[in-house]
Amino acid sequence: MAVLLILPFVAIYGLVFIYPTIKMFILSFTDAPLIGAGDWVGLENYERLPRDRRFHTALWNTFYFVALTVIPGTLVALVISLGINRLKGRLQSLVLALFFLPYILPVSVVYLIWDWTLNFQFGIAMHLFDWAGADRIPVFKSTAWFMPAVGFVTIWWTAGFSILLFLAGRRAIPEEIYEAASLDNSGSWSTFSRVTWPLMWPVTALVSTIQLILQLKIFDQVYLFSQGGRPNDNLVLVYYVFQRAFQSNQGGRAAAVAVVLFVIVIVVSVLNFQLTRLSGGRRK
Amino acid sequence: MLNLKGLAAGICVATALVSSAAASETVVWWDFLSGGDGVRMKQMIQDFNKEHEGQITIDATTLEWGVPFYSKVQTSAAVGEAPDIMTYHASRIPLAVEQGILTEVTSADWQQMGLGKNDYADATWDAVTIDGKQYAVPLDTHPVVLYYNKDILGKAGLLTENGVPKGMDSRDGFTATLQALKAAGVKYPLGSVTADGNFMFRTIYSLMGQQDGVLMSGDEFLAGDNAEKLQNALAVLQDWTNEGLQSTYTDYPATVALFTSGEAAMMINGVWEVPTMTDAHAKGKLFEWGAVELPVIFDHPSTYADSHTFAIPANKGKEMSKARHDAVLEVMSWISRNSLFWATAGHIPAYGPVTNSAEYKAMEPNATYSSLTANMIFDPKSPKAGIAGPIFDVMSSYFVPTLNGEMEPAKAVEEIKYELNDL
Amino acid sequence: MNPTRIHRINMAGLAITLITVIAAVLWAFPLYWGVVSSLKPEDEVVRPYVELWPQTLTFSHYVHALTQTQIGIWYLNSVATAVGVTFVTVASSLFCGYAISQLEFPFRRALWWLILASFMVPIQTLIINHFELIAGMGLLNSWTGIILPQLIHPVVIIVYKQFFDNVPKDFREAAVMDNASEWRILTRIYIPMNWGVTTALSIVTFIWAWNSFLWPFLAVTKTEMMTITVGITQVSDAFGVYYARELSAAVLAGLPVALAYLVFQRKVTQAITLSAGIKG
Repeated sequence: MAVLLILPFVAIYGLVFIYPTIKMFILSFTDAPLIGAGDWVGLENYERLPRDRRFHTALWNTFYFVALTVIPGTLVALVISLGINRLKGRLQSLVLALFFLPYILPVSVVYLIWDWTLNFQFGIAMHLFDWAGADRIPVFKSTAWFMPAVGFVTIWWTAGFSILLFLAGRRAIPEEIYEAASLDNSGSWSTFSRVTWPLMWPVTALVSTIQLILQLKIFDQVYLFSQGGRPNDNLVLVYYVFQRAFQSNQGGRAAAVAVVLFVIVIVVSVLNFQLTRLSGGRRK
Repeated sequence: MLNLKGLAAGICVATALVSSAAASETVVWWDFLSGGDGVRMKQMIQDFNKEHEGQITIDATTLEWGVPFYSKVQTSAAVGEAPDIMTYHASRIPLAVEQGILTEVTSADWQQMGLGKNDYADATWDAVTIDGKQYAVPLDTHPVVLYYNKDILGKAGLLTENGVPKGMDSRDGFTATLQALKAAGVKYPLGSVTADGNFMFRTIYSLMGQQDGVLMSGDEFLAGDNAEKLQNALAVLQDWTNEGLQSTYTDYPATVALFTSGEAAMMINGVWEVPTMTDAHAKGKLFEWGAVELPVIFDHPSTYADSHTFAIPANKGKEMSKARHDAVLEVMSWISRNSLFWATAGHIPAYGPVTNSAEYKAMEPNATYSSLTANMIFDPKSPKAGIAGPIFDVMSSYFVPTLNGEMEPAKAVEEIKYELNDL
Repeated sequence: MNPTRIHRINMAGLAITLITVIAAVLWAFPLYWGVVSSLKPEDEVVRPYVELWPQTLTFSHYVHALTQTQIGIWYLNSVATAVGVTFVTVASSLFCGYAISQLEFPFRRALWWLILASFMVPIQTLIINHFELIAGMGLLNSWTGIILPQLIHPVVIIVYKQFFDNVPKDFREAAVMDNASEWRILTRIYIPMNWGVTTALSIVTFIWAWNSFLWPFLAVTKTEMMTITVGITQVSDAFGVYYARELSAAVLAGLPVALAYLVFQRKVTQAITLSAGIKG
């Protein structure tokens, strides 16, 4: 019986997870194209990476993107959720819906809408710059602004998810604690720093962990926004894997990059898990 | 509007061959033609299907131009999922042949289509020939041209009595025209696709050609003073940016929109936008406009051009049936013979009998810019060249920062040279 | 507490409320702007000034998108593959989660650790080998091919196991006394007691699958097999000005999920928090 129950899951897992993972490692030691066999080249694909400019760009941009989204995204969601928490009834549902809506939209829709809103020539956001007397910024066409802009859009897109988690976390704090705090004549800031923040810490850690692992794997937005622009300056690791494998037809070299990302994500996850456990433990 | 029937005379033979096959064949077709010229091609496909009812049906799909199209073709051919026929840039044929994703067009095929070497210009035939074998059927040649808004230029007194822009013969002259437009209150005297390095390759390579510069000498990139010629080309364009004479960080659709909305007085773009202008003008939604050969910025006229061709993918592990192959040949033959209509999409048809016809010679605005055919230059014939190929990829990365004033031309050339020779 | 203090807090509270509401409106403004732009003629959207409402209201772009593109087929592909992913993921995870939670079998702990570990593995790095695998099986350009590599959602099985662990042992013992089979125990007790979990997990899995881009983008080369997220960005018109037309396609792609969310807001909210392991 047990075997029958686990069989579908184990079969799927073996086929689309275990098997491809093993194959990826093997592929990274060959010079195979995307489809077809190649010769064993040992560590050559890895030895190339330190000299590979595009790999540097991709690695740097990936970490830069993580820095731009994880902590800022978590804080934005926290602030918004506290604002929403003060509202009541219908107004609360409405405001929550407005903040949450972007999250359920497909990335292509998010891309089309923001590409239009921030369009250098016709975007409505550019009129704000004009109106403020500032120079327009070609956000998706200049290297300096590309990552921050995509980070901003990503926060806009995914904040809804984090907001819901924060709201749930905030509601789990018993109201008596706040009543006690107000009887103590505690000001809003000290209530926040002494009650809300510490009690919300587990949720904050959870949200930022989910964000961290998600954003290391960034591809969709970067790919879409750099279309018709300068993809080579905007590479991130998954994009570089895609470029090597599907555009340059170099399966082996692509797999080596994939392995590097694979290892990075696992190392970061383990570190993050240990850190949050430690800091969580200390706070208790 | 056009007498297509006259040209269709020779088709009967091929049609007879195809109709001998009993069942109707569906030919899966991919192209990347989606602007005004895409509308024209859809029309031709419709006409083809109508004329071949019960025999051949073209099932056409338009994919995103450039890297997305060629990546899809490459991976699809490798797994046997490529179409039966596709449009292909001649510049990319060497790379495709090296990758083994094209099927040869044999002399028997040419015979069956009723087409051959003598129907094409030498350069065009050579572009589809690798090691003495042909891999595609040429459809057209498509250069870039200078579009201009006659209303704006006229008002600023910048048109000659022939109705073309002033100052087309020198760098100083053309810059003066741009400055005069700026002084007349035009926001963008020149609309340029400055956000897309792939596109700017056409303009920059044209400007190199005006100095007799070449990309490849043997296996070496930008050898000798060719690097300097590239730098000169970049410097001119960057100067225009610095003086506020051209649109910066503008992507393809925005460039067209700036021109059609009258915010940009001139625009360098491919001839394939001709139908966009013709159609809008016919609807009364566009100003008076014209298109001419690029200005001579350096020593002599020169314009970059590429060719659209039809190719048959080599689908791995999937042999094409005789009947399907015949149908594909009929498609290529029919479209070539009827390519006078394709000329309304701005392109210069590759099929000689069409370009030699009186109807073609009278066609506007094609006739105005057709002089440039004498000055056309093409990509180096190398597996590294071509739309979305390795050379494009490297150069385009440095064009965008340079054209928008982020990087010095000298620095860009140095980087480009290093990366190209490192390919 | 003195009255002025209460007054001050109320003023501050009101200000925060006001700021939140304004922020929400600004937050959603790009969505509004996308919709409004899609209702303007192309020459109106590129005007050099701002018009918050179309001067000429037109639905022509929607007509174009619905009649001249394959958007209908893309919808169908999106629905079919998202439902497929949801059904297979939830069903296989439910069975496996139950087995791990309630039954004894060899390598049970090993399997559980494997699932927990896979939580950390970036699936995106497997695209090359997924492509090779699916191509080798001849499944590119098929629903099955789009679905298969998207079936790895360890979080579903983890949540199921936690909920099954929490079902009181008494139920199980009583059923075993009655000689009920494992299958009966699962279908009559454990599944009905956790319908809420199943609904929630189905909702989140569906959202993930509907929104997925990278894999469907790679696995499909034929336009008639594209999902809507891929179709609206890969089959646009490269040349010419079609801003409003593209936006109308975007609105059509986003509308069904947006409406579904507005109708089932509460359910979706619960589903999301549950999927992160918070019992909301």
